Amino acid sequence: MRNVVLSALLALSFSTSLSNAQSVWTGGDDLPTNPLACDATPATAAAKPYDGGQPTNAPDRKGKTIKVVDVPKLVGIGYFNATSKGIADAAKEMGSMDAKTDGPSKANIDDQITLIDNYITSGVDGILFAANDPVAIAPVLKKALGAGINVVGYDANSSPDARQWFVNQAEFNGIAKAMVDSMAAEIGDEGAFAIVTSTFTTPNQARWIAEMAAYQTKCHPKMKWLETVEAQEDNILSFNQSNTLINKYGDELKGIFGMTSVATPAAADAVTQAKKCGSVAVVGLATPNAMKPYVGAGCVKSVVLWNPVDLGYAAAYVLRAVADGTLAPGATSVKAGKLGDLSVINGSEILLGAPTVFNKDNIGNFDF
Amino acid sequence: MTTTVEATARSRTAPQRPGFFKRLFAEYGQEIVVLAAIVMLFAIVTMVNPRFISANNLTTIFSGNAYIAVAAIGMAMVIVTGNIDVSVGALIGVLATISGSLAVAGYPIWFAWLAPVVVGMAVNAIIGILVAYARIPSIVVTLGALSILRGGLISVTGGTWITDLPPDYLIAQKQIFGLPVPLVFMVVLTLLAAFWMRYTAFGRSLYAIGGNAEAALATGIPIARRTVAVFVIHGAFAGLATILFATQLQVIQSTVPPNLELTVITAAVIGGVSILGGSGTVIGSTLATILFATIGSALIFVNVSAYWLRAVIGLLILATVLADMLRRRGRGA
Repeated sequence: MRNVVLSALLALSFSTSLSNAQSVWTGGDDLPTNPLACDATPATAAAKPYDGGQPTNAPDRKGKTIKVVDVPKLVGIGYFNATSKGIADAAKEMGSMDAKTDGPSKANIDDQITLIDNYITSGVDGILFAANDPVAIAPVLKKALGAGINVVGYDANSSPDARQWFVNQAEFNGIAKAMVDSMAAEIGDEGAFAIVTSTFTTPNQARWIAEMAAYQTKCHPKMKWLETVEAQEDNILSFNQSNTLINKYGDELKGIFGMTSVATPAAADAVTQAKKCGSVAVVGLATPNAMKPYVGAGCVKSVVLWNPVDLGYAAAYVLRAVADGTLAPGATSVKAGKLGDLSVINGSEILLGAPTVFNKDNIGNFDF
Repeated sequence: MTTTVEATARSRTAPQRPGFFKRLFAEYGQEIVVLAAIVMLFAIVTMVNPRFISANNLTTIFSGNAYIAVAAIGMAMVIVTGNIDVSVGALIGVLATISGSLAVAGYPIWFAWLAPVVVGMAVNAIIGILVAYARIPSIVVTLGALSILRGGLISVTGGTWITDLPPDYLIAQKQIFGLPVPLVFMVVLTLLAAFWMRYTAFGRSLYAIGGNAEAALATGIPIARRTVAVFVIHGAFAGLATILFATQLQVIQSTVPPNLELTVITAAVIGGVSILGGSGTVIGSTLATILFATIGSALIFVNVSAYWLRAVIGLLILATVLADMLRRRGRGA
């Protein structure tokens, strides 16, 4: 009897999705969209008052060399090696920042809190962080602010009042624009495309797709949206679903969007093995390392993601500007070295800018 | 005396053995139902969109999910003996990483293919020993193994992917006699396993163990040793499935498909393997895998959200288990 209960539970786990099923599914969510302009005009920032925190009794650090510790989610992986390199590059360029990276060896919030606490005790001027948990990290960051330390986040935010600024790597509408523009550049303004995503309920993917639909309708109205298929976070299923799309639509299908770093390489593999390189384009969100074989073979031309080296670089410049007092509440932009002026969004966030499109020429420079 | 004559006469006019088809259905009822469902689906969807039976789409359906069918062969054997293994998905992930790492490190290709089979057998030998000799229920042992394997995989790989696999290693992308290798693997292994389970004493004993362990013991079947053996064989099939899983794409991810173990168990159950042990065949589990793949592809071809796939499979599980229960009740077992 216990076995029967087990199998009933098994069945239930497969059928819980029944309530989510709907007849036509584009894959997007129902939240309001905010498509960017079709040209490169940046979005007009909706005015929102500064909602970050402030250090208490911070000493005047203007122009002085500051000691900074960078605490990423974890160390030893390509992505945070890249942000760390960006921070080191910026520090070297400015000549007035003594920066080091020290993070937990696993993406563990407890280890991260202990580490930050130790640096508060040992005395630093600034802390850069990428939070493993936005809420759990807040108390220790507030403690740092209380000790007069400048605190700036990047990659993964904390609650706003626990840090001064956060460098946001990409907004949904920015990613959507880069994706659709890349696809249009490859398959033309009247091409037909399909999407392979993770699941109906993955919030980021649903948001990106909704913004892509809005941007495509606005800026590339003649492109044809064939369908969106879900493939969970399953590489072989993503491969099979991509193949099925190719089989179903034949020559009509000109492009496939991969919405996850699992789906994009699998879609590229499907196109490669179907010998459709050059006639079916693959554009997607993915890390460069996963895509190198396909980009190198010329089967994939555009991989969309932000550049983590630039992200670290911008975070270091933001911290310097905060310490100097040049970036204060109410500012609308900040100078970030070679990246130029970056705009302030959402009250206390700095937008890194348009996402990076990795291609054959630059993908070899990245290792994450 | 007269009654005996009468009985003999009756047996001459109406043979005591039922007809061929009746026997076939009694023995392979579930397999036939699944096969009929596949044929019906093909007929319907092809009428909607003839591209459904294009050579390419047939390859996608039959070859793209072959690794699940291969893993389900071993799973079917384990379930027939009245056990279960919920760790096979995580095991395949670990084995794929081992195999891919060896291939990239420059070890001979045959070694990179052999390693997952050997390691899979070794890991499952431990599981089998814990089940058979320590008398821990298999669901508990394999739940533990699931956590260990999954956690270990993430800790060791740190989430990085294996790229730059040598082209010769990617066997799942190759063809034998014009047929995709995964398809050949699936068919050959299914037939071998089916014959082994039907016609060898060892194979038959698995049904005896799952059907009635006490009776099996009384007839001299070494239950504990056979249980370990069946887990080891299951490990070998997990290793063979890994070879297909790891070589289908040019990169090996450090994650495994979510719920892979459930998919494999489901294939066995819908294929007619009784979740209570003692009956079912690997032909059924392979047909069930093909049925899932056909449903998945069909849903895209007829523009239905893939969420229905899970709903349909859920209903199929319930129907299959219910039918199994009713059959048992009918037999008074």
